Amino acid sequence: MNIISVGVNHKTAPIEIRERISLSEVQNKEFVTGLVSAGIAHEAMVLSTCNRTEIYVVPAMHEVTGEYLKDYIISFREAGKDVRPEHFFSRFYCGTARHLFEVSSAIDSLILGEGQILGQVKEAYRIAAEVQTAGILLTRLCHTAFSVAKKVKTRTKIMEGAVSVSYAAVELAQKIFSNLSMKKVLLVGAGETGELAAKHMFAKNARNIVITNRTRSKSEALAEELGTNQVLPYESYKEHLHEFDIIITAVSTKEYIISEAEMHAAMLKRRLKPVIILDLGLPRNVDPEVSKVQNMFLKDIDALKHIIDKNLERRSGELPKVHAIIDEELVAFGQWINTLKVRPTIVDLQSKFIEIKEKEIERYRHKVSEEELRRMEHLTDRIMKKILHHPIKMLKAPISTSDSMPSRVDLVRNVFDLEEPNQSH
Amino acid sequence: MNNILLTNSPLLLLTQALSLLYLLTTGLYGAHFFGDIQFAKKYKQPSLVMTLLTHLVYLGLLTSIDGFRIGYSTFNIMTMVALTLTTTYFFIEFTTKNDKTGFFVLAFASGAQLLSSILTAQATGTSAAFSGIGIGVHLISSIFSFSAIAIAGLYSFLYLLLFRQIQRNRFELLFQRLPNLEVLERLTMHAVAFGFIFLSITLFAGVIELKANGGAIELMDIKVITLVIIWLFYGVSIFIRPLIGWDIKNMAYLFIILFVFITMLVTLMAIFSPTFHTAAP
Repeated sequence: MNIISVGVNHKTAPIEIRERISLSEVQNKEFVTGLVSAGIAHEAMVLSTCNRTEIYVVPAMHEVTGEYLKDYIISFREAGKDVRPEHFFSRFYCGTARHLFEVSSAIDSLILGEGQILGQVKEAYRIAAEVQTAGILLTRLCHTAFSVAKKVKTRTKIMEGAVSVSYAAVELAQKIFSNLSMKKVLLVGAGETGELAAKHMFAKNARNIVITNRTRSKSEALAEELGTNQVLPYESYKEHLHEFDIIITAVSTKEYIISEAEMHAAMLKRRLKPVIILDLGLPRNVDPEVSKVQNMFLKDIDALKHIIDKNLERRSGELPKVHAIIDEELVAFGQWINTLKVRPTIVDLQSKFIEIKEKEIERYRHKVSEEELRRMEHLTDRIMKKILHHPIKMLKAPISTSDSMPSRVDLVRNVFDLEEPNQSH
Repeated sequence: MNNILLTNSPLLLLTQALSLLYLLTTGLYGAHFFGDIQFAKKYKQPSLVMTLLTHLVYLGLLTSIDGFRIGYSTFNIMTMVALTLTTTYFFIEFTTKNDKTGFFVLAFASGAQLLSSILTAQATGTSAAFSGIGIGVHLISSIFSFSAIAIAGLYSFLYLLLFRQIQRNRFELLFQRLPNLEVLERLTMHAVAFGFIFLSITLFAGVIELKANGGAIELMDIKVITLVIIWLFYGVSIFIRPLIGWDIKNMAYLFIILFVFITMLVTLMAIFSPTFHTAAP
């Protein structure tokens, strides 16, 4: 009983290769149902995101190996010209489980601790469950992976701290102001970067966001999208600089749009109450001399990257804790797999005892009263349970180094004279 | 004369236990702040409560010697400073749900308690205790005033520290763990407001007591002068910011200076001039 995983991801292949192998939802369904209906796999699931396409398979034949699956997906995607087996990784059994646990807990991601991957793993499982290619093994594997991810999220700080420039800007603003809902925010530039920063600010309860942009319609559209509906004409926003606690600039310009003299005048008007300017423009939008104005925090992209680097450093420091959680769950998963292996023997053992009991009870059926028969049945049930308790406990126990699962199973089967088990899944 | 600890073994035991508890609690807050140690996070609050309760028992036992009246001595003043600082911090933590500044306040409280324990061990006889509501209010409110001044000074220091960290793009431990600038500013100003109220009570109770004693206290006494100066500074700083928008950074510097000044004064006066106030000629 094996679980194989093969795939391409950001560690094994460049983006051109990942693009060639990636599967849409429709292709995903077609691929996994194809594997199962062709008798290649008992169970199959595909995780396909922008950074990875990975197949998880419980093989139905001995011939199905990692290499077999690599060739299978290359041929399915008709990517033989561009993609080679060397672009793939492959894992088996516990290696597969460990890999999925690492993927789900976002420590295998391009950005350590990113928050999207768990949803993508859940989506992959949903698709497999929908087309009924996720059986007992993949279901258990995926649910354990979800549980690992949850534990990692709650017990470690792997997902804490901003790792994008726009989010770092918000994190910094929150280190100066306690309540963003009470602060007035000016966004200069309604492009993609500005929009993202404004949305992060909005998510942190900043509601008083005023937008200004050279093209007024763009600022109006963004203001409407955010629900603030506050727009300033680009020609006159400088007259209102003193009103704002947070100023975000993200415009494409070769000249500084805010000078030291302008900010100095604005600060005097607002009685030196602290202001943070987040200059997300490249080239920079705000004169660096502005940082010399009293109670002024001017932060450009480089400064914000410092925050990101520190956060990533802290996240890396959490890796030992994450690995400890994964190891713990891996042991539990391995033990569950072992109980799966002994399950037929346990079922056979119980069936044999029930059969013996029923035969013996049958011999006395017409010799004793109904009440006595019921008591005898009750008594034999209790004796049977007590006799079976130890052998079943021994079969389910974790494997030690001096023992092995087949020898235990053989021992029980020989002692109780059980027939040879079927070799089916 | 006998040392009070040598004649009272439960008090001797409590004095040592209390100092250790203060150090333990400070250590736990420090371990959580600097090392993010989960064990410290779990046990720091119970340890804080235990320290406060032990301190109250200790104070009860200490004052029971003289009819539950607090005597004016260095060790009494220091232990009261530790208690009021810890009590004030306890309320700050439980009302603001912010436990990130505990180490800094409790380290100061531990220092005061440790000094008190050392001085108690060296003290001979009991110090003069004061009776009457007026003098009691005067003494207690002056101790609370000092605690408020200490907290204002400590939070001002943390404010300036974080301000510089942000300006210099040093996004490390202090940036991560300290509350934001606005919260630190608010805590400082609350401490200043409380300090002003307690200083006013101290002065008011002192004036009433002075009249009751027929002017037996020298008005040019250094403690009286210092008290009035600090009271003026605090009063002005409460109103100056909303009126003319004085820079919080400048205020922070002022509160730190006042805190350092009064700490030195209290310590020196307590060691070299262990009398209540200079008597008028």
